[in-house]
Amino acid sequence: MQLDLVHDVQSAYRMLIDSMSRPGMISNLSEEARKVDFQTECSNSLIVIALTLLDTEVTFKVISEHEAEVTQFINQLTYAKSTTADQADYIFILQDATDEQLQKTIQMAKHGDLVNPQESATLIIEVDEVTAGRELMLRGPGIRTEEYVHISATGDWIDLRAEKNGDFPLGIDLLFIDLNHNLLAIPRTTQVMKQVIK
Amino acid sequence: MMTTATAYNFAFFDEGSKREIRRATLKAISIPGYQVPFASREMPIARGWGTGGLQLTLSLVGKNDTMKVIDQGADESVNAVNIKKLIENTTGIGKTDETSEATIIQSRHRIPEVPLTKGQILVLQVPLPEPLRAFEASELETKKLHAEKEYSGAWLMLFEQIMKYGNMATDADHPVMVENRYVMAPSPIPRFDNPKMNHSDALILLGAGREKKVYAVPPYTRVVSLAFQDHPFEPESFEGESCKVCGANSVFMDELVEEESGETYYQCNDTSYCIERLNQAQEEGAL
Repeated sequence: MQLDLVHDVQSAYRMLIDSMSRPGMISNLSEEARKVDFQTECSNSLIVIALTLLDTEVTFKVISEHEAEVTQFINQLTYAKSTTADQADYIFILQDATDEQLQKTIQMAKHGDLVNPQESATLIIEVDEVTAGRELMLRGPGIRTEEYVHISATGDWIDLRAEKNGDFPLGIDLLFIDLNHNLLAIPRTTQVMKQVIK
Repeated sequence: MMTTATAYNFAFFDEGSKREIRRATLKAISIPGYQVPFASREMPIARGWGTGGLQLTLSLVGKNDTMKVIDQGADESVNAVNIKKLIENTTGIGKTDETSEATIIQSRHRIPEVPLTKGQILVLQVPLPEPLRAFEASELETKKLHAEKEYSGAWLMLFEQIMKYGNMATDADHPVMVENRYVMAPSPIPRFDNPKMNHSDALILLGAGREKKVYAVPPYTRVVSLAFQDHPFEPESFEGESCKVCGANSVFMDELVEEESGETYYQCNDTSYCIERLNQAQEEGAL
């Protein structure tokens, strides 16, 4: 079955809305991802997100060993133009990207300016696993008290992200997507704290 | 008779228009209270008649949604009925008057009396999204004021009202502070509804079609009405009054005049809430 570009994209968007407005809430895109019948180096749920958000009006960047192939694929699929990491509206960081690449991308991505804070990047990060867990505590708008999640991303991304988003409303928004098509959003307003497990 | 206008795309818009609104909406959610510019497409209703709210609704709506549209608390007023018809004819989805049954509620100038829940999205139509416009005509300047969190003008506006009238004379659209960062126009809801925005269970999206702005209040976000220590914020009070039709109190009511006797009386502004109460009373009476 083929992905319905009206209805499946709409349901994916509503999950993006749910996850973005309630950080810590994990949505699942497998229903939509299952219908994607292209063969590429990135996961099907990433393609669903690209189809939901990208077109000729925006730019993107792919961070991966297979950057050239995936870039060409997304460009042909959505007509969005690829650009450098410091200019891109949407940055796809695939699973084969290294910790250093993720860290560097967080540092380089545009975070808007005070007059136009919306002119900032959204990072879509592929990871092994996004689940409910005790490892990270989330606080901020959209969260009643606190939420706990586990994200299998390694490296120093939490501190670098906090530094990048230090001057609200400037900042970057993160979308994590795992191999089971689980989606978790961490907008710039969310505080992420590492839990010390005793 | 319900006809689905198949000549149109699902939810009226082409997919490119939806994508543009969707991108702006996601940014609005990540920057609570900040007005994100968007393209604001031409609609088959005039700008200023709820096109901002309608565009948000059309970008959100899916086959499984149930829709409620209200105008000043009423489900049956002309504006609400026309918007409902357009959505229904281009999507074929179900509509309801009952607040608790709806997944998307588009509203002009009210937040329903029945508390909203987690599964719902409230879309508010906004005529004037810029709370600083009354004293600064230039968009470039108001954007700078927001950038610098320079809100003395907003405070001064309220202070002048206190000097002139003895109290804050805003009746609807009383400005709010969102997450201690952005001063925001809550759309012309009565002051009575302002506290419902604070720490809401439902996501609230606001759309201004003519002014080409969308903004958002995510769930569980701090929304505080602007006020002074010696002049606290006060919602409209209906103390001692109750609805002539259903007997409700502590809701927002319209003050009406009985033409024959010349007497004033009060009635629920939220019509579906009022009818629900009447139906309930009748059922209980019949048992």
